Amino acid sequence: MSMHTSLRRTAATITNSTTTILPTRLPTQSSGTTFVCSQCRHATLLRRPKRPYTFTQLITLSDGSTFTHRTTSPAPIYRSTRDTRNSLLWNPSSSKLMNVEEDEAGRLAAFRARFGRSFDANTPAAAEEAAKDPAAAKQAEADAKAQAKADQEEEDNLLDLISAFGQNEAPPPPEKKTPKFTGKK
Amino acid sequence: MAAREPSRYLTRALPRATVPSIRPQGFLSRRNVSDEAPARRLSDHLTELESASSLSTAVPNSAAASFDPLARAAARKNQLPRGRYQFRSPKYNRGPLHPHQPPPPSHPASRLFVPGPFSAPRAEQTFDSTVSADIMTLCYVHTPPGFKPPPKAARLREWDDSSPYHKNRVLRGPRGGDVLRLLRKPIKFNNIPELERITIHSYVKNAAAERNSSWLHVAGIAVQAISNVRVETFKSKSNVAPWGIAANRDSVAVKAELYGENMYHFFGKLVDVVLPRIKDWDGVKGSSGDSSGNITFGLVPENVALFPELEINYDMYPPKMIPGCHITLHTTAKTDKDARLLLSAMGIPFYGKIVN
Repeated sequence: MSMHTSLRRTAATITNSTTTILPTRLPTQSSGTTFVCSQCRHATLLRRPKRPYTFTQLITLSDGSTFTHRTTSPAPIYRSTRDTRNSLLWNPSSSKLMNVEEDEAGRLAAFRARFGRSFDANTPAAAEEAAKDPAAAKQAEADAKAQAKADQEEEDNLLDLISAFGQNEAPPPPEKKTPKFTGKK
Repeated sequence: MAAREPSRYLTRALPRATVPSIRPQGFLSRRNVSDEAPARRLSDHLTELESASSLSTAVPNSAAASFDPLARAAARKNQLPRGRYQFRSPKYNRGPLHPHQPPPPSHPASRLFVPGPFSAPRAEQTFDSTVSADIMTLCYVHTPPGFKPPPKAARLREWDDSSPYHKNRVLRGPRGGDVLRLLRKPIKFNNIPELERITIHSYVKNAAAERNSSWLHVAGIAVQAISNVRVETFKSKSNVAPWGIAANRDSVAVKAELYGENMYHFFGKLVDVVLPRIKDWDGVKGSSGDSSGNITFGLVPENVALFPELEINYDMYPPKMIPGCHITLHTTAKTDKDARLLLSAMGIPFYGKIVN
């Protein structure tokens, strides 16, 4: 009779001593495993993971390349106008993207349509191209000045240049605008 | 006193189990007079038990002959209902000793099972085909044969034995701070840095304002829409008086963790579509990162609204409630330098002073 109770008491002290000896093990227990193997009385609900519905979408980049991805957007095709193919940050050496002039209102285009491009006729095309490059800018500028001097020395050459310029590059200015241009000059 | 002395020696001599308890004996061992009453006497109950066992009876041969499960299944006209043959995982985890154990989460019958992956994302294919080989080549350091790297000092300093109390003392941390940085091993084919996970986190400062939880709902749905992952909400750990946020009371933040397929889809979408459309964006600041290979940058609400998922039904979201977010790109690189090398190869631009 007394034997029974004393056995119980020793068992209880053993479990207590294990918890005091190994206090560091206890916080690291995961929820599933317990160090002291005992019946876990509570039940944890196994929740089904919730995942939003996804569609397959085809993304068309601005240069025409496409790829698919999974997305919550229901649109089957997404056409991007601005992406890595035509932004300067991803194409730092692209001269095409660097020379984009800011002409959102179309005022520069209107000016050109009215007066042609003769205002920058003396600037060589090479200098115009390399103007953005800071290293070659000074060299190109010097070249442009020498070229402009040489051009001005030939008086008749300028007239030829003006008359020949509109037929080559810019569309011919409208007939009614031309007298205005010459009159102002 | 003298009367107790022999009993002390006696307890030492006896085995442990027979040591008498100091506590008073419990009522388990108590005997009452009423136990000897005829209604409760044990010997009377024993006589009522049957002496013959049911296990000793012989099984009739007809039962064994009629047991033919194959023939029964073939003779069945309709298929059994699904509940009769399909294993269903238990709804609750009742502990390790319960006889009915749920299957592991990788098992298709588990309630925690997430199927997939279903596609090969473009960013992942790019990494596998080109970026990984490039990074391994860039990080290659040639050592001539027979080269032995000079031995490095131990990261944890030992105590000089100037005091007897230094015996068995734990080692000291490095000089100049207790933080032990991650060890960067030489990058070989088996430890090429790659994208590990992406965390999208959004702290909604108006979450507790005017007792209106709609800010948090909109933020959660917006983050879920751009990430394909259900978000988790978090309560504030600190009081923020100007915004009326109390610690442990107000849910103020949402977070989505992206792994695997979702992560690469999000990354490709972010790099190819969203980031180029941000106006006047220079890139990710070169000094960002936690110096162990995780890079964080932020998007303001106008930038978050550029995601195609929010654009497609922009009217659904109240425009002022669209959240900004912090996006953390966790990589397996050990240093920020390697992580930046990986991320810039994958298409994220960096600007400014590059800090390792």
